[in-house]
Amino acid sequence: MARREEFRILGMTPREIVSQFFSSSVGKVAAAFFIIMIVMSIYALIALPPNFGSLWTNVNYWRLNPKNAPPAWVNVFTGNIYAPQLYIRNYIFGSSFNEGTEYITASFSVNYDYRVPWQEFFIILNSPLVYTEQPPVVTVRITRPDGKVITIGPLPLNRQVMALGSTPQAFGQVSQFYLDNFGLSNVIPIGSSATPYIFYTVINNSLTPLKGTYHFDLFIYVFGANSSNAVSKNNLYFVLQGNVYGIMGTDFEGRDLWLGLIAGFPIDLAVGLMSAAIVVSIAILIGITGSFIGGLTDELLTRVMDFVILLPAFPLLIVLSVLFGWSIWDAVVFLALISWGASARVIRAMVLQIKNAQYLESAIIAGADRWWILRNHVLPQIIPFALYLLVTNVPGAILTLSAINFLGLAGSQLPTWGNILYYADLFGALTSGYWWWVIPPGLLIAFVAVVFILTAIALEPVVNPRLRYG
Amino acid sequence: MLARTLIMRAINLVILLLIVLFVISFVLSGPASKILEQEIQQEARAIAVNILRSGHANATQVQAIYNTIVNQLSKAYGLDKPPYIRAFYIMYSMLTFNWGYSYFPQEYGVATGRVVDIIMSAFPGTILLDTFGILLSALIGIEVGLRSALKYGSKLDRGIMYYAAISNGIPQWWLGIVMLLVFAFYLSSIHSPIVFPTGGILSPKYYAVWLIDPVKVFLNPHAVLDLLWHLALPLITVLIINVGGWAYFARSIVLNISQEDFVTFAKIKGLPENQVVNRYILRPAAPAVLTNVFITIPFVIFGGFLITEIVFQWWGLGYVYNIAVVQSPTPDLPVVVALTYASTLLYIIIVFIMEIVYIMLDPRLRER
Repeated sequence: MARREEFRILGMTPREIVSQFFSSSVGKVAAAFFIIMIVMSIYALIALPPNFGSLWTNVNYWRLNPKNAPPAWVNVFTGNIYAPQLYIRNYIFGSSFNEGTEYITASFSVNYDYRVPWQEFFIILNSPLVYTEQPPVVTVRITRPDGKVITIGPLPLNRQVMALGSTPQAFGQVSQFYLDNFGLSNVIPIGSSATPYIFYTVINNSLTPLKGTYHFDLFIYVFGANSSNAVSKNNLYFVLQGNVYGIMGTDFEGRDLWLGLIAGFPIDLAVGLMSAAIVVSIAILIGITGSFIGGLTDELLTRVMDFVILLPAFPLLIVLSVLFGWSIWDAVVFLALISWGASARVIRAMVLQIKNAQYLESAIIAGADRWWILRNHVLPQIIPFALYLLVTNVPGAILTLSAINFLGLAGSQLPTWGNILYYADLFGALTSGYWWWVIPPGLLIAFVAVVFILTAIALEPVVNPRLRYG
Repeated sequence: MLARTLIMRAINLVILLLIVLFVISFVLSGPASKILEQEIQQEARAIAVNILRSGHANATQVQAIYNTIVNQLSKAYGLDKPPYIRAFYIMYSMLTFNWGYSYFPQEYGVATGRVVDIIMSAFPGTILLDTFGILLSALIGIEVGLRSALKYGSKLDRGIMYYAAISNGIPQWWLGIVMLLVFAFYLSSIHSPIVFPTGGILSPKYYAVWLIDPVKVFLNPHAVLDLLWHLALPLITVLIINVGGWAYFARSIVLNISQEDFVTFAKIKGLPENQVVNRYILRPAAPAVLTNVFITIPFVIFGGFLITEIVFQWWGLGYVYNIAVVQSPTPDLPVVVALTYASTLLYIIIVFIMEIVYIMLDPRLRER
């Protein structure tokens, strides 16, 4: 029976490495977190549109969302205070045609059971008609739970997105409603939307939310003979802008933070891995070259190593990002190019140790040449160690680049976590207590960094035989 | 022998320092030259306007004088030379603290607007927070690490290891934001009697004193209390983040040593437990731990600390960076460039001192 050559890395078979890795609780935790991280990255790549980076900076894309809104689930803890974001696509649609004018009715009911009403009512009409000289005209009739009726309009529908409460008509008509019914004037502060005041009543001379079912009827008139079917149920819908939004809330421009946080996963992972890969490649190249050739080359490369170690990475990264307007990938490459020193030093020391080992002396006596030694003794020990170095280099890169992004430098176009925190700091999340805008991005930075740190800790016994089975 | 090693290392480091500074000067020579050019033109214009006002020369003559001044000054500063020569000039002016004027002096509150004054006023803050923070966290961390290593494998040990791993992954500046959110914003919003400041190094009334002469602040007990009150949150942040790293480090060194043959031998010999620990584990671990504390300081300062200062609006180098980069209408180039020099210089000087300490502490290097 032929003896099978056993494949070993650092004196362990792959199976032994795996079992060593999973033998500690750290290893198990690290593996579980690693899977979560990978799954989130893949999910982000699949779920988000490929041009998400440009959507993120497009203010118009997010205008329907409330600004600085906490996550929707805060209602669970606060007893349904805030009205949530509501998209109304399911409504009763009716249309009739008469003497060149199309009459369209759209009606729906909403149940209002909150203490803070909706901020705005949007009518969205995706039709080329809205830009014609004679746009459609809309009248909105709201029947309240107390039987009173507010009518707003007629208003020209000359925008794709109309914020009903912000129109002067709505302001005037809702104010008039309060004057007629409750004898109150100047209810709506100048400059604010009239929409919330649809949901209030007056008790003891103060505004109180009026809970119950509100019935909305919209009457739309489309003029012109060629306009039939220009407004259909498919291109008309309504949005009630809430005070809470989604899983993670929104930022100052109404951007959905959940999407931004998700998008950060692949970016952060790519940033960390790319930087670490460059660092380790350079470190291997310099470390092996220097120690293997020896003499003047070694001396020179060691000096270069010292020089690189002495470079203060962070200030340089700041100043160069400012001067050259770097993108995040430029910063990643630069960071890698100035932070390989310490890793190269480790590799050099390792190669020296291997080179001076007794078994190599015997190999040389037996006639082994340099390449043979490099291939059979040095590389098999260095490469697995390099993978360990790769893992240890990732968290530093992620933390440094997040810090640079927090300064608004190096790729402010992408929704990285550091960048989200930059805007949070800039637009007063701290002074207003917007915790949902501050806590999750930082936790995610820490999460990714900790995953790699735990992986490195679990790998340590593999790399350092002394700690094995300890 | 020791003196020779030290001198050799010192010469080595000084040469390295000059090379690093030169390379940075070279990289920055473009923008730095632009700044210098603008300053020369300004100066020349001021002279030209004066001559024109005095009425002794007509417009063409004044233009000629202006051109000569600009040319001569450019020559004097080496602006007509190739970039590598220019880098020497820039390096020289940086080393002699000839750092020019800020574009937006009013942003910093330093009256003269000289970059040197701005940066010098920021130094004490950086030194205060960083030395305090690092030394205290190293002290606590090493103590914790030793205890944890001696109880290797216990629940406490494992807990400390997890804490170290997690605290190493948390961005220090983000923890600062969270601390501010909780202890400055939420505490004040529930009208707690104890509220921490939302930032700054001192209350505004002491600021003018601090910017000019920090020593005076330390002589006034009220101001010192005020300083400590402002220092509390940043210092706690720094401690939470850094203690774990030190603990993990001290733990691994002690673990490594406790697996040495001489420790095993001492145990077999039957020496009492604490004698083994004190004499055979802690004593050999001490230099390694201590020197690493020193060696790590510059890396720590110029990583997370700069941003932590920004978060707490702590008047240090990091905060000045923030004003120069983010808060000015356009990047305040003279300040950014000079800051990079100053921090590089400080960084290298610290590394230098640390290496010397390292040589003096490690007996193996001393004897060689």
